Amino acid sequence: MAGRKVALKAVDWAAFAERVPPNQRAMFNALKTRNDALTTRLAALPEKPPAIDWAFYKANVAKAGMVDEFQKKFSALKVPEPVDTQTAKIDAQEKEAAKSTAEYIQASKARIAQYEQQLQKLKNMIPFEQMTFEDLSEAFPETKLDKEKYPFWPHKPIADM
Amino acid sequence: RVLCPLVPSAPAALRALPRPVAVGVLHTTRPLHTSQQSLAPVPPLPEKGGEVRHGLIPEEFFQFLYPKTGVTGPYMLGTGLLLYLLSKEIYVINHETAAAACILTVIIYGIKKFGPQVAAFADKLNEEKMAAAVALKNESIQALQNAIEEEKKEQWRAEGRNYLFDAKRNNIAMLLETNYRERLLMVYNEVKKRLDYQVAMQNLKQQKEQEYMIQWVEKNVVQSITPQQQKESIAKCIMDLKALSKSAHAAV
Repeated sequence: MAGRKVALKAVDWAAFAERVPPNQRAMFNALKTRNDALTTRLAALPEKPPAIDWAFYKANVAKAGMVDEFQKKFSALKVPEPVDTQTAKIDAQEKEAAKSTAEYIQASKARIAQYEQQLQKLKNMIPFEQMTFEDLSEAFPETKLDKEKYPFWPHKPIADM
Repeated sequence: RVLCPLVPSAPAALRALPRPVAVGVLHTTRPLHTSQQSLAPVPPLPEKGGEVRHGLIPEEFFQFLYPKTGVTGPYMLGTGLLLYLLSKEIYVINHETAAAACILTVIIYGIKKFGPQVAAFADKLNEEKMAAAVALKNESIQALQNAIEEEKKEQWRAEGRNYLFDAKRNNIAMLLETNYRERLLMVYNEVKKRLDYQVAMQNLKQQKEQEYMIQWVEKNVVQSITPQQQKESIAKCIMDLKALSKSAHAAV
């Protein structure tokens, strides 16, 4: 029953903490405490239990055959390793997260392109001192006066003045 | 070139006219679309009007007469014209003249005194509007840049999701390993407990047997001490004590 070499991937908690958005801090802290608790628990347990001194027991236990029987059964006993049921779920979650992240990044890039476009438009605008009202309506379409809906001056509801 | 519509010279020529071109009419002397870059933006209108002298007469008139008549030319012209009008009674002096003189005096005085203030006030109004518009524009630019920064930051954050899954998998692995080790330890402990129990039982039994034997031997010995022996042993004790006390007296 040799202890297995545990395949633990080193997690850079500092870098991880940097990337957590503020509204998910609580979940991150919970995860970290759980991880720390498990680590300490694991470190407290020895990898292999100490070997039983059969010679001593054979010399001292009077009942004949008992120690031999124990020794035989003990070496024959195989402790089953616990079955891993959750890693598959985690992998599935990871794939899903990868997909949704890719989508989010796509949407984010589209938004950035939009912002860039508006930024360029604002930066290339002619200065206000040289604008006419027509130019203003072109640059900021929301200031355009609706002459069909309100044919008489001031071309917008009085309340908006 | 200034674009102008085709001028029909005679009614008959109207039928010979080509269809109207969809080009606007521009009544301006500014040079538009003359150079190579005909699609360049139109240059802005000048801020101030042309120079005038005495508030009425454009400077170009004086410049026009300067080569022939020098500096005083236009004034001589003006004076002569005025005298001609007055003497020939082309302009008749009547009550309206007096009224006009008073009114004009007041108007000119008012403009000269309060003109600059009013102009400054109007300019300030305009400046405020402009400043508001410019501030709005700058805010928009700033907001857009911030938004871009935020988006980039969120993208960077999203890249960190691997850490989360690694940590989760680590947790699982640690749990499993802990469980396995606990099981091993439990087996060992149980077996050891049973063996130790046997050994302890044996030891206890041996110890109890020894104690009982010692007690039994002691009891028998005490029983076997006869009264005769007791008296003899007490007498011996007293003699020993006397000897001891003698030696103690000697020492003191």
